[in-house]
Amino acid sequence: MTIKLEIEHLAKIYPTGDGVKQIDFYVNEGELVTLLGPSGCGKTTVLRSVGGFIEPTSGTIKINNKEVHHLPPEKRPSAMVFQSYNLWPHMTVYDNLAFSMKLKKVKKKVIQEKVTEVLKLVHLLGMEKKYPSELSGGQQQRIALARALLLEPEVLLLDEPFSALDAKLRHELREELREIQAKRNLTMLFVTHDQEEALSISDKIVVMNNGHIEQIAEPQDVYNTPASLFVAQFIGRMNFVKGKAVNNTIRIGDLTFPFDDAYTGNVTIGVRPEDIQLADNRTSSIDALVDKSMMLGHFAEITLQTKMGSLKMFVDREQMKQIALKSTIPIHLNRFLIFNETGEVLNIIGG
Amino acid sequence: MTKKWKSAILGLGLVMPSFLILLVLVMYPVWSSIKTSFTGADGQFTFEHYIYIFTEPLILNNIRHTLTVTILSCSLVLIIAYSIAIYLRFNQSPIAKWINRTYLIPMFIPGVIAVYGFINFYRDNGWVARMIGEEYMPSIIYNVKGLLMINIWFNVPFTTMLLISALQAIPNSIIEGAKDAGANQWRLFWHFILPLSYRTMLVALTFLFMGIIGSFTAPFLIDRNAPQMLGVSMQQHFSVFNAIEQSSSLAVFMFLLCSIVGYFYIYSNIKGSKKEL
Repeated sequence: MTIKLEIEHLAKIYPTGDGVKQIDFYVNEGELVTLLGPSGCGKTTVLRSVGGFIEPTSGTIKINNKEVHHLPPEKRPSAMVFQSYNLWPHMTVYDNLAFSMKLKKVKKKVIQEKVTEVLKLVHLLGMEKKYPSELSGGQQQRIALARALLLEPEVLLLDEPFSALDAKLRHELREELREIQAKRNLTMLFVTHDQEEALSISDKIVVMNNGHIEQIAEPQDVYNTPASLFVAQFIGRMNFVKGKAVNNTIRIGDLTFPFDDAYTGNVTIGVRPEDIQLADNRTSSIDALVDKSMMLGHFAEITLQTKMGSLKMFVDREQMKQIALKSTIPIHLNRFLIFNETGEVLNIIGG
Repeated sequence: MTKKWKSAILGLGLVMPSFLILLVLVMYPVWSSIKTSFTGADGQFTFEHYIYIFTEPLILNNIRHTLTVTILSCSLVLIIAYSIAIYLRFNQSPIAKWINRTYLIPMFIPGVIAVYGFINFYRDNGWVARMIGEEYMPSIIYNVKGLLMINIWFNVPFTTMLLISALQAIPNSIIEGAKDAGANQWRLFWHFILPLSYRTMLVALTFLFMGIIGSFTAPFLIDRNAPQMLGVSMQQHFSVFNAIEQSSSLAVFMFLLCSIVGYFYIYSNIKGSKKEL
């Protein structure tokens, strides 16, 4: 597979000391890679550095194996879709789309054909004469995407493009984006702080925190085998319980679990709600008091009080009928992760 | 009395004081000037005062002079103010910060003081002449050059302030989007910055035109005796020659000139509002 975008030792340190510290990753041709992390983690700084809107302090950015970090945005083979759509308010949809081609002195007929084609692709044919203010948020973002596509970029950069849209529209546009990406074999670098969005559309996720990369992996791996406590906390829901590792056992209050590691010290046990299940027999189970339940559509979230502490588990509608509030039920931890004091994964038990 | 009528009367009552002030201080004098300009010595309707101002070489020269000074001043002020505004909007250097802190100072110096200071500075035997040598000193005071310079001094700060606010209202993201699409500096200016700020430029132009065409203090103190700016000419006809009718016709003519500029401003605003809607 050809590497389309390569970032080596990229750093951007702001006067406040914040920024991005020496990061490396690459994006293959036709891949959608997401930079995911909390606000201020540096993901937008990386994206804007690739787009040429920020000058990195050090490091190299290569597109198609050519260094581009010294080029201004207008000379880079990339295009950006901005969070705030960034349509030019004084131009019609047609002019917004045709602008880059007019600059390149493309023939009028070709411009018209390309604009029609891209408007079909984003399902907005017939909107050519409208001004951005006459379009809804979703339509504006589709036009912004169309405008970026018309630049025929080697790498398409997307800076939280759906964050200003409502949940339903966001979901629709995500699917459309994935379709367009597949149709055109686009290479994309996508920034979001929404882990659900990242998990649903990415080929690969780069999880960032405090200006450095915590993990680079495919979505299911980021979810199932997080590389650190931070990733485990940030991606999906997880219960965390404090314990102690001593003599190949982990102690949490009165409970002990076998632990095949020489590590001794404080540990954090992380267990996802879906990895807590109703136990079939009481011998290998933990008693849990059903404290609260909350319906979340096709499943329910139950808060349990156990000797380990408070845990949340998910149950489906059928199971929910069998569980009474304030009753004691036997539970079994199907799979859990053990983190050391610095947040590194020591072991994954079960699953 | 119904609630609807009560609120209607309350609304009318609130508007009435300002409407009456407008009526007494603006609309009546305007009507009175128009009426006077069309009234002959016998009290009958006449065009004689307009015939006079458009045939008398002295007045025609004054009109030409006024229009020349106004158009030149407006152009120079707009060019200077727009350049400063663009520099301040897109530059973060210490010089830009210093200009940003100081460019409004001329607005806080009273007009008469500024004009006398200007005369002392630039007259043939003023401070500058003493510094560079009187023989090298170009004629500035009692000359169009001086009038243009003082108009720039008076009008650049406010115009810059207006234009900076317009340029600051253009989000960085629009500029970045344009750069991303391949626009270089010139295209960025021509296709984005200018179209997105020209309406404020028209507002500034309207204020400038009306302010300069009707200015009195600076032209009275700095300009030559002939030709004169219309403001000075009007004052002379009114209080020196006691020719109130001719003075009124000059005022009506000046009002018409300002109305033309005002029309373009309103027209462009309506057009722009339609686009926004």
